[in-house]
Amino acid sequence: MARGEIQLIDLRKDFGELTAVDEINLRMPGGEFFSLLGPSGCGKTTTLRMIAGFERPSSGRILLDGSDVAYTPPHKRNVNTVFQNYALFPHLNVYDNIAFGLRRARRPKDEVRQRVARALELVQLSGLEKRKSSQLSGGQQQRVALARALVLNPAVLLLDEPLGALDAKLRKALQLELKVLQQEVGVTFLYVTHDQEEALTMSDRLAVMNAGRIEQVGAPRDVYEDPQTLFVADFLGVSNLMDATVVSAEDGRCRVSVDGFELETRGVDGKVAGSAKIVIRPERVELEPHGAASGPNRLPAMVERIVYVGSAVKVIIRAATGEMLEALVQNTGTELPYVQGTPVQLHLPAEALRLLPDQGLGTASDEVTAPDEEAAATA
Amino acid sequence: MYKRWLWPGFAFPGVLWLILLFVVPFYVVVAVAFGTVDPILLQPVPIWNPLQWNVGWMIEVLHRFSPGGTFYGVAIRTLEYVAASLALCLLIGYPVAYYVARHAGRLKGLLLILIVLPLWISYMMRMLAWVNLLAPDGYVNRFLTYTHVLSQPRDWLGGQPSTVVFALVYGYIPYLILPLFAALDRIERSHLEAARDLGASPWSAFRHVTLPLSKTGILGGAVLITLPMFGDYYTPNIVSGAPKTSMIGNQIDLYFHGGPQPTIGAAITVLLAAFLTVLMAYYMWTIHRASRELPAV
Amino acid sequence: MTTVAQARPAGVSGWSRIWGWLRNPWGRPRFLVLVTWAYILWSIVPVLIAVQFSFNSTRSRTVWQGFSWRWYWGDPVDSVLHDPTLAHALIQSLKLATADVVIATPIGVLLALGLARWQGRGSRPSNFLMLFPLVTPEIVMGVSLLLVFSHIFMFIHTGTLAQILGHVTFSISYVVVIVRGRLFSIGRQYEEAAADLGASPTIALARVLFPLLTPAIIASAAVVFATSIDDFVISQWLSKGGVTDTVPILIYGATRAAPLPSTNAIATIMMVVTLVVVTLGFLAWRVLTRGERHGATAAEDFGAFNI
Repeated sequence: MARGEIQLIDLRKDFGELTAVDEINLRMPGGEFFSLLGPSGCGKTTTLRMIAGFERPSSGRILLDGSDVAYTPPHKRNVNTVFQNYALFPHLNVYDNIAFGLRRARRPKDEVRQRVARALELVQLSGLEKRKSSQLSGGQQQRVALARALVLNPAVLLLDEPLGALDAKLRKALQLELKVLQQEVGVTFLYVTHDQEEALTMSDRLAVMNAGRIEQVGAPRDVYEDPQTLFVADFLGVSNLMDATVVSAEDGRCRVSVDGFELETRGVDGKVAGSAKIVIRPERVELEPHGAASGPNRLPAMVERIVYVGSAVKVIIRAATGEMLEALVQNTGTELPYVQGTPVQLHLPAEALRLLPDQGLGTASDEVTAPDEEAAATA
Repeated sequence: MYKRWLWPGFAFPGVLWLILLFVVPFYVVVAVAFGTVDPILLQPVPIWNPLQWNVGWMIEVLHRFSPGGTFYGVAIRTLEYVAASLALCLLIGYPVAYYVARHAGRLKGLLLILIVLPLWISYMMRMLAWVNLLAPDGYVNRFLTYTHVLSQPRDWLGGQPSTVVFALVYGYIPYLILPLFAALDRIERSHLEAARDLGASPWSAFRHVTLPLSKTGILGGAVLITLPMFGDYYTPNIVSGAPKTSMIGNQIDLYFHGGPQPTIGAAITVLLAAFLTVLMAYYMWTIHRASRELPAV
Repeated sequence: MTTVAQARPAGVSGWSRIWGWLRNPWGRPRFLVLVTWAYILWSIVPVLIAVQFSFNSTRSRTVWQGFSWRWYWGDPVDSVLHDPTLAHALIQSLKLATADVVIATPIGVLLALGLARWQGRGSRPSNFLMLFPLVTPEIVMGVSLLLVFSHIFMFIHTGTLAQILGHVTFSISYVVVIVRGRLFSIGRQYEEAAADLGASPTIALARVLFPLLTPAIIASAAVVFATSIDDFVISQWLSKGGVTDTVPILIYGATRAAPLPSTNAIATIMMVVTLVVVTLGFLAWRVLTRGERHGATAAEDFGAFNI
């Protein structure tokens, strides 16, 4: 088994009446950058704290490289955490902060000095040993927190929304650095965030959580392109949800009816019938001039609004079915051939149109193990 | 992370101490109040079992508190003094707290030190200062006769209610100003700016934003000074030797130190404590209600 | 579209007054300034006068006749140095205050930690219990302690021990309130970080939590010392007279009986001691929490009054 593998088995945490984590199952093979993504209150931080040891599970197991650590106290687990507010000890300087864990482990002085120096190099903060945390910028504090955790060579590094307190530009720079760092060091990173862009950018794989359950697990591309539940489709990016009724469904293709218009969509794994939802990402929506040659999966529509966002243009369209959709057109420098209030023709390519069963915004986690193993097999 | 017994364990010594030296002693007071008096030794005999309590003395004391009784006048007077002192403390203290909290600018730190300073000057010292000033040949009389406000020196220290109220105000006002300051300081500037933005004049903004938001501070400060004030006996004794300005505390003092009737003293103490508990309960109830109305800060 | 800060127009007197008001519509109402400074003077000047008279060369406390150290050490009979009653009172006050700090501070710190973190059933009543001494009039406490030492703990007689026990009883709550405030602002994060890095619970408490609590511990020790020195009611009720009388008791007696400037002198000495202790405690707090402030007001250092 790879070092730093985490397996959560039927993990549950109740706070009185509230179930924060509802018997989730998850397997994270070692060495990857794994994110737990979800809105506030979905249970991701509670899950992280249970893995770290600050919360005791109500039931279930946490296997770290095969052994159950669910009831081991945090100071005995080979897992280290980067806290949201960094939690750098105010009464110690940078050197002592980083050396803290090594000293608890009673490492000899020379070893401590060496390892601290290397850790500082790793996060590019050599020379700041004597500073106190109050004398550091936010970005520097975050790096010290990283160094402090990594210097102990943990099997797994837990990161609890570590970039939340930083401004946008710094955040983007550090996202990249963290990714590079993880690849360099090879330690499993378990990263908790509510920012879907962050999760998509940095992760090797991610799990989307909602209301204590896991909605979907997979590589960023798979989760984004192939959402399996309404929640996932809606949480990651714009989903352009539309109501539809299934006309026919087979493995290769499905046909659905949207307010009288018939469209072809990608096939689904399970059996879907009756009412459903279809999803398409804005960048896949194609706009054709009004009156262009018709064909399958085309709808007449009206341009409601055009929003310039710098690198692209968002076009808000009202389809003939009555639904409002968003299309994203890359900014190629040429003028758009349509303006507000003009008719266009929408082309929704069948491969980009995804069919989802109409189950509300949640799903049982039993369905998760299938794609989990599938993803693990292809990883 | 920590063992479950650790925190209760930490709390244990303190809780034990408070039980032994705070709760139990109070129960002794109750037991004495509802006890009897040994006829030979003239010592109070506490009765520990509530079922055997002797209500005789308590009833006697309650009689004395009812209109016409010997304690009635003292009780009314105490209420008057406390009410007058509280009113004056608020009248003087609120503007001061308001100014320091909201308008002091660069001087805020200095002013804060100056208004906190009296808290650390011994109460006795502060009373002593006024006893000196209000003496027949003290500065106050000398100044007033010199400016012809008075034709001759007045006996401020010879049993004047106004002197007692004055001393109470002087002594307790710092304890009101501080919580008031804290409450006023906490009010977000943006709330007031919003009020002004929506058309409120400075006075209106004060009346409709600042004042309501400082209510808990006012209440807290009021409780902080009235509760001890009800038990004050030393202030009247210092600035006025006379029985006609005595407060409830003086009565308790008298019955314990003046004569052989601690049972009555205990009974009065119990009644005083009961009265104050009612006040405290009212305060907590108001706070509880207020904290539900205000948004969580 | 960029904006540049506008330059102040050159003032014609009328315009610049209006401009001044517009610039600062929150400007200081003069009435409040007056009231505040009047209050401060009224609050402090009388005490300064009393201090002044402690240096009076004659026996009068109301008529100034020249500077002298007479009442501090000069007078061979009545000065603080030579009058045994005064000297004993001073010593007794310091004795009680020191004992109070030594006993109440540790108990209070532990109680603060216990109450803040205890989740079980006893915690709310215990918390309630802790708050009571803060709002109980001292006479009620004095009466109850006197009676408890007469009827239950009869092995304790009025005197120094009883006084110490009484002082500690009301001091514990002050320590709890101050330390608890500090505990809330620290939170659990540092202990969790310590545990995460391999510190056992004991180490986390000793090497991380307690160092971070130090400013609060020092500040509360200073507060306990100051309140104990200035205490009157409890000390009086539990005193057996004579050498167990403290300075406030002496002053109380003197203001009604035979007033001499030596009373002013001893009161001044006590005041100076208290102020020095409180200032040291406050400075210790400021220095030790130096790295943690982000422009917070000094008002938070007085957060002790947020019960």
